Amino acid sequence: MKPMLSTDLNAPDATVEKAKIEVKNLNFYYGQSKALKDINLSLPERSVTAFIGPSGCGKSTLLRVLNRIYELYPKQSAEGQVLLDGKNILDRSQDLNLLRTKIGMVFQKPTPFPMSIYENIAFGVRLYEKISKAEMDNRVESALKRAALWSEVKDKLNASGQSLSGGQQQRLCIARTVAVKPEVILLDEPASALDPLSTAKIEELIDELQADYTIVIVTHNMQQAARVSRQTAFMYLGELVEFDRTEKIFTSPREKRTQDYITGRFG
Amino acid sequence: MTAVSEAATSSAMRTREATVRRFAVTDMVFRAATRASAILVLVLLGGVAISLIAGSWEALSKFGFSFLTTESWNPVTENFGALAPIYGTIVTSAIAILIAVPIGIGIAVFLTELCPRPLRRPIGIAVELLAGIPSIIYGIWGLFVFAPFLQTTIQPFIISIFHGIPGLSSLFAGPPYGIGLLTSSLILAIMVLPFITSITKDVFDTVPAVLKESAYGIGCTTWEVTRRVVIPYTRVGIMGGVMLGLGRALGETMAVTFVIGNAHRISASLFAPGTTISATIANEFTEADGALYTSSLVALGLILFIITFIILALARYMLLRIDSRTGA
Amino acid sequence: MSTAQSLHRSRKRKNAVMMALCIIAAGIGLAWLALILGALLYKGLSGVNLAVFTEMTPPPGDAGGLLNAIYGSIIMTIIGIVVGTPIGVLAGTYMAEYGRFSRLTTVVRFINDILLSAPSIIVGLFVYELMVRPMGHFSAIAGAVALSILVIPVVVRTTEDMLNLVPNALREAGTAIGAPRWVVIRSVAYRAALSGIVTGILLAIARISGETAPLLFTALNNQFWSSNLNAPMASLPATIFQFALSPYEEWQQLAWTGALIITLTVLGLSIFARSLTGRREDR
Repeated sequence: MKPMLSTDLNAPDATVEKAKIEVKNLNFYYGQSKALKDINLSLPERSVTAFIGPSGCGKSTLLRVLNRIYELYPKQSAEGQVLLDGKNILDRSQDLNLLRTKIGMVFQKPTPFPMSIYENIAFGVRLYEKISKAEMDNRVESALKRAALWSEVKDKLNASGQSLSGGQQQRLCIARTVAVKPEVILLDEPASALDPLSTAKIEELIDELQADYTIVIVTHNMQQAARVSRQTAFMYLGELVEFDRTEKIFTSPREKRTQDYITGRFG
Repeated sequence: MTAVSEAATSSAMRTREATVRRFAVTDMVFRAATRASAILVLVLLGGVAISLIAGSWEALSKFGFSFLTTESWNPVTENFGALAPIYGTIVTSAIAILIAVPIGIGIAVFLTELCPRPLRRPIGIAVELLAGIPSIIYGIWGLFVFAPFLQTTIQPFIISIFHGIPGLSSLFAGPPYGIGLLTSSLILAIMVLPFITSITKDVFDTVPAVLKESAYGIGCTTWEVTRRVVIPYTRVGIMGGVMLGLGRALGETMAVTFVIGNAHRISASLFAPGTTISATIANEFTEADGALYTSSLVALGLILFIITFIILALARYMLLRIDSRTGA
Repeated sequence: MSTAQSLHRSRKRKNAVMMALCIIAAGIGLAWLALILGALLYKGLSGVNLAVFTEMTPPPGDAGGLLNAIYGSIIMTIIGIVVGTPIGVLAGTYMAEYGRFSRLTTVVRFINDILLSAPSIIVGLFVYELMVRPMGHFSAIAGAVALSILVIPVVVRTTEDMLNLVPNALREAGTAIGAPRWVVIRSVAYRAALSGIVTGILLAIARISGETAPLLFTALNNQFWSSNLNAPMASLPATIFQFALSPYEEWQQLAWTGALIITLTVLGLSIFARSLTGRREDR
């Protein structure tokens, strides 16, 4: 419908920044049914982008294309281009494991591995790096500090990751993701299963992390999107309806559908 | 960025790529190993079928179809027929199922509807433990405890009751040996009871609570809910459990071998000794001299394999149907 | 009005009768378990003494023990488990992980379920044709292979079931930090499903430690001490079979004692296995 939408909209704000990820003409299928329709957008480096929209609109699907996690399941396929630093990650030759070390992901429900807090973080690091015990200790400590969890767990690093509270578990997952030094972090409704206090902590964390990482967050919570993101994409029925600076989306959206959604008329 | 750190990054990148290649190879090997193991399961069943056919070839080609219809089993004249063991297998299993099914369903109803909650789990576990007791234990118990008890009390009593009544008197004709077809059937019934009970209980648990509640809501008694709602809803699953129990009974060896009497003949009386396929094989295989004798015993095994395969396949098919319904 | 009342009363009566029958059924089931265990304890315990565990099976009419039979059972059970478990775990892994959505998995699951309840004497015949006939003699190793074939379907089934209980989110999380599939399976899925898989292996041990039929014409039996895997070997179940059907009182007593040992082992293993998964569910 509006093929030029994203580039057009980005022009005023985003051109000054380098695009980390560019999505071009992306279509996505679950079997025969089309879940994403001709998506175009570009995500600027070192800033937070939010995907919002009613459930089933495709925002999580789009996120799951960015690290190709959908490949775990049969009958799901993407066509088009997703460029990471100009290189198409949908290319067959792209090694998936390598891609995922560059693009980390945090899920809706906390997913600590069934191992100790220390091992939860060391596990991912050890996969691709051979480092000494002392270096590993440092890595674990700095990752936990980065995730604002260090002071709470430094005396029980050998306790099971599953023994932590929900909010702590989610920060552990963020620490785990940060520890492998990704360039992009994908967050799939990271606070939806948490209490308000933990949510606030996660949001604070996101704000700090954007100094070093390109962050994409999917959320059904519009206030959250307004609080944490620099730009927001509104999606509806598998289409990207509008993509702009966040305050623009929430104060003077161009599209009527966007306005209806943010004012609570549907969704 | 300085030149040093750039060099470091690019060397880190190179080791990372080497790691990725190693991962890909390991993953391929591991995947192949799991797939080969899965295929081995199929090969095992295929191997069983092929080896039984090969082993029984001599007997089947000599006796042909008449192997199935001949009662005589004579190692001296090397004339073998499977009719008596087939008869014994089917009769003992059928009686066992007839006894075990009502009791098994009764226990399942008791466990799901009547049992006080704190007792539910312990009793359920006790019934399942009964399923774990090795069959040789049932055999030795049957031979030394159960058979003498039947011989001295139950059997004389039944023989005297039915004496002179046409049909029944020959079905329960003496003398009371203790061991025999009926004793085997009873032992088999005890053995398959836990299977039928635990599967029936499991499928009863799949009945949606709302369905039962709405029946209770219009004033049905517990029995009416069970009879009109629970059992019709789970009919296919119960049938699956019954077939599974039947499969067990048909193939059960040790418990039967102790108490069947091992007589290659078909008698009208359930008190008479008989034999089953598995008991014949267990009793005679190591003593069988002559290729034809051994081959005939393997042919018995092949018949048992075919019967149980069909029964078990039907059972699994029925249980699958229940599963897919609850999954949906 | 009165017809309605009498109808109501007859329905109540019928309900009471049927429910009473169900309680009786449960009573029968439990009574049978009690009777069997009671007889086993009564007859078996009187024969338990040190000689049972230190002396060999005696010639007819003599006193003796079950040492060689116990040893043979343990050796063949261990080999059966060591051979069968890896195959079962790998096959279960394929079905729940790599091949979760493949047609092969559906077929293997169906066939495995049939193998799970196939008559064990048929497995004995199969191994006889496969190993004993070509080798020309009975052997402990043939017995162990027969037992391993009984182990495989039990372990396949529990491994698949337990891995299927591992939340997909955990697999996705492992994948998302760049771990290849086999690392996710090894370090995340196996770890999460560990107690369930161990339960399956324990249940498999319980099952084969009492199996008689598949040993009768593979390992045969052996009156004497033998640790040669290439020769016939005694086992508890085969010894019980032989001794129970003999006319000698000493042998019959040893059969009861052996039966008690097997039953306690099997029940102990099953209860221990159950307690493992029970704890898991509570958590």
